[in-house]
Amino acid sequence: MERVGGSAEESGDVAETEGSGAGASGTEGDIPGNWILQHHKYRELMALDVGDTAQVYAAFLVYLDLLEERRWQEVTSRGSAELQLVYLEGRESESQPRQLIVPLPGQRSLSHQGVRSLLSQPGSDGAPSPSLLLAAVAPDSTLAYYRFSRGFVVPEPPDSIQALECGRERRKRRRL
Amino acid sequence: MELETEADGKLEAEVQTETIMEMEREVKTQTEGESVERDPESDTRTGEVKRERETEPVRVCVSGSTPLLWRSADLRLVRERMGIVGTLVGSLARQPRQNCRLGRPLQLQLEEARLLKDTGRAVLVKGAESECDDDRVNVEVEESYTKHLQHSYEEQGRLALEEKKRVLERVMTERFRDDALTDQPIRERLSSLKSSFSFPRSAMMVQLCTARARLGYAPVERDWLAADWTLPRDNKQEVRYRVYQDLRQQGYYITSAGKFGGDYLIYPGDPLRFHAHFIAVCVPIKSESPISDFLCLARLGANVKKTILLCSPSETESEGVIYTSIQWSGMV
Repeated sequence: MERVGGSAEESGDVAETEGSGAGASGTEGDIPGNWILQHHKYRELMALDVGDTAQVYAAFLVYLDLLEERRWQEVTSRGSAELQLVYLEGRESESQPRQLIVPLPGQRSLSHQGVRSLLSQPGSDGAPSPSLLLAAVAPDSTLAYYRFSRGFVVPEPPDSIQALECGRERRKRRRL
Repeated sequence: MELETEADGKLEAEVQTETIMEMEREVKTQTEGESVERDPESDTRTGEVKRERETEPVRVCVSGSTPLLWRSADLRLVRERMGIVGTLVGSLARQPRQNCRLGRPLQLQLEEARLLKDTGRAVLVKGAESECDDDRVNVEVEESYTKHLQHSYEEQGRLALEEKKRVLERVMTERFRDDALTDQPIRERLSSLKSSFSFPRSAMMVQLCTARARLGYAPVERDWLAADWTLPRDNKQEVRYRVYQDLRQQGYYITSAGKFGGDYLIYPGDPLRFHAHFIAVCVPIKSESPISDFLCLARLGANVKKTILLCSPSETESEGVIYTSIQWSGMV
């Protein structure tokens, strides 16, 4: 079994494999320490030849999270030569529409113009989507998702108002 | 003079009472100055005076670099007509040692003052500065003010006592008339009134003068007193102002968002009636920030149930201001 350190030197800066849980001490038999590098999806993303290694690695982690952890459906990947990054598209469940997910390493900087150009990417239906999910990947592989939307998105009402409305509904039902 | 209880320290009550008092005083001054008899025709004249005042520019006193509004009629006007909210920063005369409820002056944000000036709805006038730092003079001023307050307190106490006596006498005559019950307890109260009556200091009315009649209201004088806008206009200020202008044009009410770490709080209507929907963060369109900054903002917004609004004036005039909402996605 190859050591993680050794393989990291070969593949440049992809050294943060500690989050993957498959360290050098794994005794799972055939699974090598650098299984990520050999994963077919990872190779597919690298083959798109857009984005630097850190961004592709971030995309791979988000891909795994969406599929394995959150059980999203129809998760596909696309490359954007214009923006030089790999992004994903998927559906949270059968009833939900398809969404755009942009994985980025957490140390990156972004401008408002950059956010807008991400939003202007066409989805699978050809039209740019009104919102996207930005997945920030920290160096320790922690993922944080937040939604960017065009224009004004009104938030949910505060708890006090929600409680009031729930109370009203309950009282109405009791009366009936 | 009607006595108020101090429990009613709400903004509306204070503004209303003082608005009425000031408007009455100003109309009186105007009519005295022009020797117009009080007759049925003068009501139309009062109406005309009121309408003229509403179209007249408002005086914004710039104290140092802080724009302030003093007259309650002006506060009402800018809020109702222009949707400019500002912040009350003055102590209340009868409740000085708290900052839960504050009174006039109204402090305006630089953007609010600039918008008022640019639309011709206000003139900026240099505020009066303290004339001398000599402690002796200040002590004299303080003593004369305290004496004046004491005199006012005694007079109000006397008037309150008379009012109470009148009330008791009226009650006594009514009861005596209605049923032949003895009015002995009331008589006793009336006779001991003078000795038992106490007028609490907290119930005293204190008048704060916030305008001087007949000085600086003529257009010529006002224009002469008007100051040039001397505040620095850097890039950040310009970005903020353009965003402010655009949001105001769309009908949103805007206050400062110091407590929330953003630039503005955006309300769909008057802040007295609605919760804020957005925290606006004004950034130049091309300036880059680390993604962790967006993370901070998104988390903050989620905690306080408001959407973070990234606002950037576009570089092309036609596009106006570009808005992007950031929300915490809730995927844990």
